[in-house]
Order: sequence, then structure tokens, then C-alpha cells
Amino acid sequence: MSTFAAVTAVLSVGLITYGSRAGLIVFLADRPLPVNISRALRYVGPAVLSALTVNLVAGGQGIGGVEWIEVAAIGVAIVVAAIARNLIAALCAGMVTLWVLLWLF
Amino acid sequence: MATDVHDDHDRADVGITAAALRAAIPLFIPAIPFALVLGVAITDSAMPAAVAWSTNVFVFAGAAQLAVVSLAATATWLTLVATAAVINLRHVMYSAALSPRFSDQPRWFRWIGPFFLIDQLFALTSVRVSMPGPQWRRFYLSAGIFYFTSWIASVTIGLAVGNSIPTEWRLDVAPAIMFAGLVVLGLVNRPGIVAAVVGAGVCLLALEVPNNGGILIGAISGVVAGYLAEVVATRRSERAER
Repeated sequence: MSTFAAVTAVLSVGLITYGSRAGLIVFLADRPLPVNISRALRYVGPAVLSALTVNLVAGGQGIGGVEWIEVAAIGVAIVVAAIARNLIAALCAGMVTLWVLLWLF
Repeated sequence: MATDVHDDHDRADVGITAAALRAAIPLFIPAIPFALVLGVAITDSAMPAAVAWSTNVFVFAGAAQLAVVSLAATATWLTLVATAAVINLRHVMYSAALSPRFSDQPRWFRWIGPFFLIDQLFALTSVRVSMPGPQWRRFYLSAGIFYFTSWIASVTIGLAVGNSIPTEWRLDVAPAIMFAGLVVLGLVNRPGIVAAVVGAGVCLLALEVPNNGGILIGAISGVVAGYLAEVVATRRSERAER
């Protein structure tokens, strides 16, 4: 990625992030969101983050880019996150699983 | 220049800043590994490291930063921006929830305040909206500036550390693990699980869509599925009550 493309991407993402935080505060003070929209917004987090996880695992190479070791590490992290409700524990469990599997195979 | 009244004022202000920091620090601790992972991802990024680092200053949103930095190798400008926009949609909720508290604040604060509105700051300030305006503003800015500076420091440490860690450690996998963990921690109800599973499943089916378009297709499908699941669940419980 060229420096110019990277700078434009960073600045655009910055503007969009600021816009999503400031929009309702600066421009629409006190006008509440319609119930349907605020309901749908609640599912943006889980939907986009899980899609992003899948995409990062594939690494831009389609389904062929998926390594089973990575999938196993993520699976362990998901289980640990569900049980411990703790992001640090999930990250550590996932990375340790990855290292053990890489060492074994 | 300082009269007694001013002294009292200053002391109260310092008290609020101290209270803000005391409340802010525990919530920052879970963000530290995230910041370190982002720092390492910056060293791996297809973007020049300085540009990727500048997301700390211009974007200041961990998940969006990590997505932009780690997708840069395979995504176009449009996908990067669209993905970040979708990730940031949750901030619209924060903005909506806090906008009444901002309505009687000075204009400069209504413009500058939202820049700092990360998850942690929302968690801290949304439960304190009954504080008087100036005090709430001081609390908000103290915690916000604390998060901003500690975030930059932690990511920079991650960047320095990342450069010295061998690639065999496969820290490039950490962002995906991080996002998977965030998904699980964000699940509070069954429709949320539906949204996550559909989002991941559709993205998997859409992996061949060029420019990482699968992320958006997956995300939108997941949101629709979660929304519909909630509608169905609400109807079912209404029927059960009857």
C-alpha cells in the first residue's frame, strides 16, 4: 500500500469515526434514535467482529488461506472467553494453543 | 489572583479529576493487551509504520484501528473505510445515549468531547449523567485524556516490542483471536449469538468476493439476522404471556 493511499485511508477512517461519535451530539442534540434502529445497532458488534475474524483467518486468500492450527487456537479462545468472560485469558489461551500446536506439528 | 472562592473551586476540580482517574484506571487494564497486539500489528502492517501509528491520533478506536492496520495488505481504500464505518456504528449508540447530557454543554466541548468517546469512557460517564454540567464535563475530559495518552503509550510500547519478537511466534494471529474474544464478550442474549454466527458464516461463504467485501456482506447479514431473531423472540414471549 502506497503512503498516499495509507494516509488517505487513515484520515477517512478518522473522519468517519469522529462522525459516528459526534453526529448525534453536535448536530442532532436531544433527538432520540428510532427504536428499530437502536435495536438493530445492538447487533452490529457481534456481526461485524465475527465476520472480521473469519476474514483475518483467511488472510485474503479465500477458504484456502485458512490454517487449521489458527482455527483451533481461535476455538480455544472462544471457549475460554465464554467461560472466564475475560479477554486477556482468552488471548493467552489462544496464543498458547497456537504455540503448542505449532510445536507439535 | 487566587481568592478563597477560587481555591475552593480548584480543590473541587482536582477532586473530580482524581475521582475520574481512579475510576478510569481499572477499565484501562483490559485494554493494554489489545494495545500491545495493535502495536505488533502495526509492525506487520502493509501500511508504513508511521502512518499506521497515526491511527492512534486520528482514529483512536481500538477495533477500527486494528481492522484498518491488519486489512491494509488485502483491502482497497473503500473496503477499509466501509469496514471501519460498520465497526464504528456502535459509537452512534453511545452518541445517542449521551446527547441529552451534551445539550447544555458549551459548544467547544460538544465538538471536542465526542472525539474521546471510546467504550470505556462511555461506560464511566453514561452512569454519571446526573452530575452537574461543569463537573460532568471535567470528569469526562479527565478520563478521556487519560485514556487517549495511555492508549498511545501502550500501542507504542507494543510497536517497540513487536519489532523484536521473531515471526515464528505468529503474533500475526493475535488480532483474529482478539476479535473472536471480543465477539464472545459482547454477546448478551440469544439474538446476539445469531448475529455473530450468521455474520461469520456468511463471511465464510463470501470469502471469494473481491476486496474483502465478505466482511460487509457478513456484517449486514448478521445484523439483519440478529434483529429478526429479536423480533421473533419478543413475539414468542408476548404469546407466552397471553
